Amino acid sequence: MKKRIIAVLMCLCMLAAMAGCGGKSGGSGKGVTLKWAIWDESSTQYWSDIKKAYEESHKNVTVEMVDLGSTDYMTVLATELSGSGSDFDVVTIKDVPGYATLVQKNAIIALDDYIKKDKVDLAKFAGATDQVLVNGKLYELPFRNDFWVIFYNKDIFDRAGVPYPTNDMTWEEYDALARKVTNTTFGKQVYGTHYHTWRSTVQLCAMLDGKHTILDGNYDFVKPFYEMILKQEKDGVCRKYADLKTEGLHYSAAFSGGDVAMMNQGSWFISTLITNIKKGDYDAKLCGNWGIVKYPHAKGVEAGSTLGTITGLSVTTASKNKDAAWDFVNWVSGAEGAAVMASSGNFPACMTEDVKNAIAGIDGFPTDKQSKEALDVSNLYLEVPYGDHVSEINSVLDSYHGSIMTGELSIDEGIKKMNDEVGKILGK
Amino acid sequence: MAKPHLSRNLKRNLVAYSFIAPNFIGFCVFTLLPIVFAFVLAFCKWDGSNPIEFMGFKNFTRLFGDTFFKAALKNTILYCLGTVPLTMVASLGLAIVLNQKVIGRGVFRTLSFFPYVASLVAVTAVWKMLFHPTKGPINSILVNVFGHDPQLLPQWFSGSLVLVSMILFSVWKFMGYYMVIYLAGLQGISSELYEAASLDGAGTWNKFRYITWPQLSSTTFFVVVMLTINCFKIYDIAVMLAGGGSGELTESSTVLVFYIYQKAFINWDLGYSSAVAMVLFVMVLTVTVIQFYGQARKERTDR
Repeated sequence: MKKRIIAVLMCLCMLAAMAGCGGKSGGSGKGVTLKWAIWDESSTQYWSDIKKAYEESHKNVTVEMVDLGSTDYMTVLATELSGSGSDFDVVTIKDVPGYATLVQKNAIIALDDYIKKDKVDLAKFAGATDQVLVNGKLYELPFRNDFWVIFYNKDIFDRAGVPYPTNDMTWEEYDALARKVTNTTFGKQVYGTHYHTWRSTVQLCAMLDGKHTILDGNYDFVKPFYEMILKQEKDGVCRKYADLKTEGLHYSAAFSGGDVAMMNQGSWFISTLITNIKKGDYDAKLCGNWGIVKYPHAKGVEAGSTLGTITGLSVTTASKNKDAAWDFVNWVSGAEGAAVMASSGNFPACMTEDVKNAIAGIDGFPTDKQSKEALDVSNLYLEVPYGDHVSEINSVLDSYHGSIMTGELSIDEGIKKMNDEVGKILGK
Repeated sequence: MAKPHLSRNLKRNLVAYSFIAPNFIGFCVFTLLPIVFAFVLAFCKWDGSNPIEFMGFKNFTRLFGDTFFKAALKNTILYCLGTVPLTMVASLGLAIVLNQKVIGRGVFRTLSFFPYVASLVAVTAVWKMLFHPTKGPINSILVNVFGHDPQLLPQWFSGSLVLVSMILFSVWKFMGYYMVIYLAGLQGISSELYEAASLDGAGTWNKFRYITWPQLSSTTFFVVVMLTINCFKIYDIAVMLAGGGSGELTESSTVLVFYIYQKAFINWDLGYSSAVAMVLFVMVLTVTVIQFYGQARKERTDR
């Protein structure tokens, strides 16, 4: 008898627990919950800023963030959105190959109807959205837009008595300047420049003339940059790729170490530098006196062209609250979202004069005129524009970039391999 | 009369099945079904979301023209050819030495087992420091002791040397584990055999040749099969030692499992990557079957 009572009680407990769970997931009626895929919530300020600002102005909406980690974010996201079991409403798009994958998997929807309905003016994105059109349709709206600049360490230039880099340099001038400031004396070593192990740091310098993209299928035009950088490696002007790969040295560690005079890197590094110098994680004596200038350009092309990476938001096909999700996407990528982004030193996709002033006015941003002017971008070419086989092409190029930089293949052999292998993909 | 007997038997079976069931159901859902599905997928085109398209043998014919597949296949086979015999010889040698009554035997056994239990990420980091192309002690010794040209130092993690590094690393990491297996085998050999051989005037080599080696044949069989399978599965060591700026492997260091992963989850070509996986499966199966029959025949002739 006692046993039976216990059994009945346990059953009741379980039922109660189940009912409790059911009640929770059933939602509380009117309010909408948007599930949003992001990365690195703890180390990136703006996710929670956006959530807070949006929820304040939209009282009936709750934004639920799901952190998928940054290392293999797009791979994890694509896995999550495979099949129909996902319940994300809004997903953040980290890169174009991942975007292409999601579009091809029908995981995200085209936003054109919404854009037309709400009369969104795409001109505010300065042409970035045109480079991610898929058969004339747009599947994401960018809310963050980073572009590449040259970071330099003023103290090193002062010590060497060499004038600072300027906002109008050709690559030849850049190379000459890097060589001038280099010091190969043991113990007093200064590297004139630094290239992180990404393919972008080398190959994408060649795209700035606006005539080439990495989807071309012919890569002869990147040759001069491989030649320049490998020669710099040989002469001790920059650290060797093979060394960097073996050490896994992060570009931020390289620059904050105080022995790198100039480095090409994305504008995301600005807020990293400001925060870490303020916190004391980077030694201000070594790298506290920094500045930025515009990306060097090819001969005969006007200054101010640079490479960009957009971070966008998309609405998933599986979402049950597509209208609410669209409203969120539109809000974040618009002027209100831009203001939130700029407040923490990040570059919103919709750049206005106010936003630029806000970023340049942040405490810790270099005070010289050049650095502020460097924020003006005349032409922005996406590192990777959209193409059908962009993810496969990326894998091939990454692989041969490694081969050339470690000396496994000569520059000519490596470029020939790139042409052959990408040709195979494009010819398919 | 027959009925209770049957039901008792049935009962016993049911009890046994109920014990197997939890594991077996898990195995079916998470391992067996995906394997069967992969067989089907190898003949299809699928990106994980859109409808599956039947392709026939197209995925397999595509393999022949694929530079990266061929490179991965070649590297994996070379890696196996290097690692399997070397690890076997090293672990057998260690086992024989550490089976003698040497002082500090326990310490040495522990030391040789240590690489196996150490975390892969940690030890690859140490190896990368040791073999660092410009600042590593190995290359410094080459320059300072052997007078090697500092401009032409060996690049241990790229080019043709990367496979050598991978093989050396694997031998070092895994020999301790197989040494333990060999030690168990050695201790199973009756000392009477050695005594009899000594009386007949057999030297050390003959004792090894005619007693140790044949007595260990089933251990060796196990070691070689496990080693071969593990070698074909290589992925983590390659990525940790040779992975580039974004973890990618070049033509000289790519391996089959990495290629399967890349095709499946970076490029979302699940059909094609299943086809590559089938090639790996057939290779491992063939090697194992050959060794199995070789072993069975040997045991028959021994008898």
